[in-house]
Formats: sequence, structure tokens, C-alpha cells
Amino acid sequence: MRFQLLRCTPVATLVAVSALSFQVLAQPTPAAATSPAGSGSASNPALGGQKPKGPAPRLPNGKPDFSGVWQGGGPVGDIKDGLLPGEEIAMLPEAEKLMKGRLSSEDPEARCLPTGVPRVAPYPWRLLQSPSYSDAKILYILFEGNIHSYRQIFVDGRGHPDDLEATWYGHSIGHWEGDTLVVETVGFNDKFWFDFVGHPHTTQLKTVERYTRTDAATLENVTTVYDPGAYEKPFTIKFNATLRPGEDLMEYICNENNQDVEHIRGKAGL
Amino acid sequence: MAIRIISLLACASLVVAAPVLAHHSFAGEYDSTKPITLTGKVTKVEWTNPHARFYIDVKGDDGAMTNWNLELASPNVLKRQGWSSTSLKEGDVVTVEGSLARSGAKMANARLVTLADGSRVFARAAADGGA
Repeated sequence: MRFQLLRCTPVATLVAVSALSFQVLAQPTPAAATSPAGSGSASNPALGGQKPKGPAPRLPNGKPDFSGVWQGGGPVGDIKDGLLPGEEIAMLPEAEKLMKGRLSSEDPEARCLPTGVPRVAPYPWRLLQSPSYSDAKILYILFEGNIHSYRQIFVDGRGHPDDLEATWYGHSIGHWEGDTLVVETVGFNDKFWFDFVGHPHTTQLKTVERYTRTDAATLENVTTVYDPGAYEKPFTIKFNATLRPGEDLMEYICNENNQDVEHIRGKAGL
Repeated sequence: MAIRIISLLACASLVVAAPVLAHHSFAGEYDSTKPITLTGKVTKVEWTNPHARFYIDVKGDDGAMTNWNLELASPNVLKRQGWSSTSLKEGDVVTVEGSLARSGAKMANARLVTLADGSRVFARAAADGGA
């Protein structure tokens, strides 16, 4: 299949859009619908599915159904892009020094390592609830990239263990507040960056994510970042994930042929 | 209307200096202030992660042949756009527009890839997860 050259009008070239909004808006829109749970795969994954309209679907137990293939929902380029009105990122001097000294080639994501939390890779991810159609005890997030990995969110009433070892995704426990799933995560290592520009954190990091399916096609993620080791005060960001109905996760083995790192130069940035 | 909007956005993307939707910073690897246009024959296609790549032989003014390494989006992004590992084949003659690698290597991102008959392969890739 080879597409013909698109004609660009002067008006078109004046239109300024961000790469992110282009990515979201330019998804094709074939006719196949998704399942009520938002997890169907009826349509051609090469084309994506039509965005469902209306309110969030619900499970038989009345809880909103979060299952499906989503994209976005966290920072990629700069975590500041998600700050809620009135929020600010106030870095401690050591964290600021660390960030200013970071090189783009040092970004763990460029080296095919995990994004951590709340960063997301620019690829889809699937949210699974287990069991699927009653009170979920565990939610799994399966990542297509930046590496094939997963998060598990325990919603069975347990707390955090006392003997946590530091990890890339930490230990996550969740509970419902109305239609919002509140996920608290601790036990992070300090290796991952929040974004391309290199916002850092320490092992004191705690994140509280508040997930709400605000409509059938949108999963809102409002995350408060607590890290007294790197920031003067907590800050709260919001990013929306968009449903990718009709799509399945695809293989993405980042380390297969990663030639990028040896050619990346300069300080961390977009 | 949908097609028109997509076309508008696709054209608009041509003026976006630094697409950020990749696993690494675009600006860290490529210099958007150093655009380059290359024409040559495809010697190899790598349908691999994190980026698909292809290589072309480009003849210099002195007649010497140089092999260039050209970066596309990831195979998952390309596949979702309808492209495949056989969309570009060894022996195809292409003209590539992109930005030079900062490292000084014979390497660039392939923002636009046009075949000898004027048709385009991997359209949209750079703005939709590529770079």
C-alpha cells in the first residue's frame, strides 16, 4: 500500500498543532464498534476503532468499567504540561542541579528501560480487571512499550508490605471513592525520569493516582506527586488517556535494535 | 471532512520541528535546523524496534557511494497506519527528506520518503510516534 502525496495548502501549513494532538486527532475512524466493556477487538487493529460516545460503561456490580486499550494518561515530554491550575513544581536545589546536569542520552526510556510512574510511553496499554465482571481484586496495566511490562494494582484491601524493595513501578494499592479508583504507590527506585526533560525523583516518591472514566472514550488520571526528597511540596497533574477501541497490543521489543543512544547528544530536553 | 482535517493536520505536521512521540527525545538525536534531502537505492530494510530503519546508497559529487542509515517510526506505529515490512523493498529508489543526526554519522530521520513514481511510503510516521 502506498499513499499518494498529500496536497498542502498555505492555510494548512499555517496550522500549528502539537505532535501529541496530531497523534490523537489523526487516528482513522472505521465503523466497527467496541464491546460495552471497551475491550473489544472486533475491528481491524491497523485502523483503530470508532470512539464510543456517551457515558462510561458499567460492570454488573455498578462500578465503571476501566478495561480496554488506552493511550496517554501521563507525561511524555514534560510533566509540567499536566499541572492543574494553581499548581507548580517547586524543586529542591539538589533535584534542580541533578536535572540541569542530565543528558538526553541518559534517559532510561531512550535506553529501553521502563517509564516508571506517572510517565507513560507514547504507545497503547491495556487495563485489565480481574475478575472481569465483578469486584476486581487486582487491576493489571499491560504496557506495549517502552518495554513489555506491567503494573499490578491490588484492590483487595491489603496495605503496602513492610519489606518493600525499590522497583521501577513500586507497589500499588487501590480503593474506590465513588466512581474514582484511587491508587497509592510507594516503593519506587530513583532511576526513572518523569519526562524527556529529566524531572527527577527520589526513593521517597509516593504517587496517588485518581482514575475516573469521565466518558466512554476518556480515562482521566489526576496524579499527585509527593517526594520531599526532590520537591518542596506535592504537585498535582492531570492527563487524559484516550480509548483505542478495536486495537490490540502489538509486539514492541525495544532492545532489539536500539541504535539511538549512541547518537543522542546534548542536555535532556524535548 | 474527516479526510480534509487529517490532511490539514498531516500538512501542519510538516512544520512541527520536533515530534516528541518516540521512546527518546527527538531533538537529542536529530537537528531540525539541519534538513537534508537524499536520493538513492535502498540496500536494506530493518523492520525492528524501537525503530524501523532502511539504508540507501547515495552517490556523491565525486562519484563515491555512501550508505545512509535512515530512521522511521516503530513497526507498531507503522503497522497501525497500514504500512508493512514490504512497503519499501531493497532496490527501490527513494528520495528522503529528514533531519541530520547530531552525532555526525551518516544518519537521519526519514520524515518523508518518496518513491521514483512520486508515491509516498510511511507517510505520517514522523509525526505519529516516529522520529
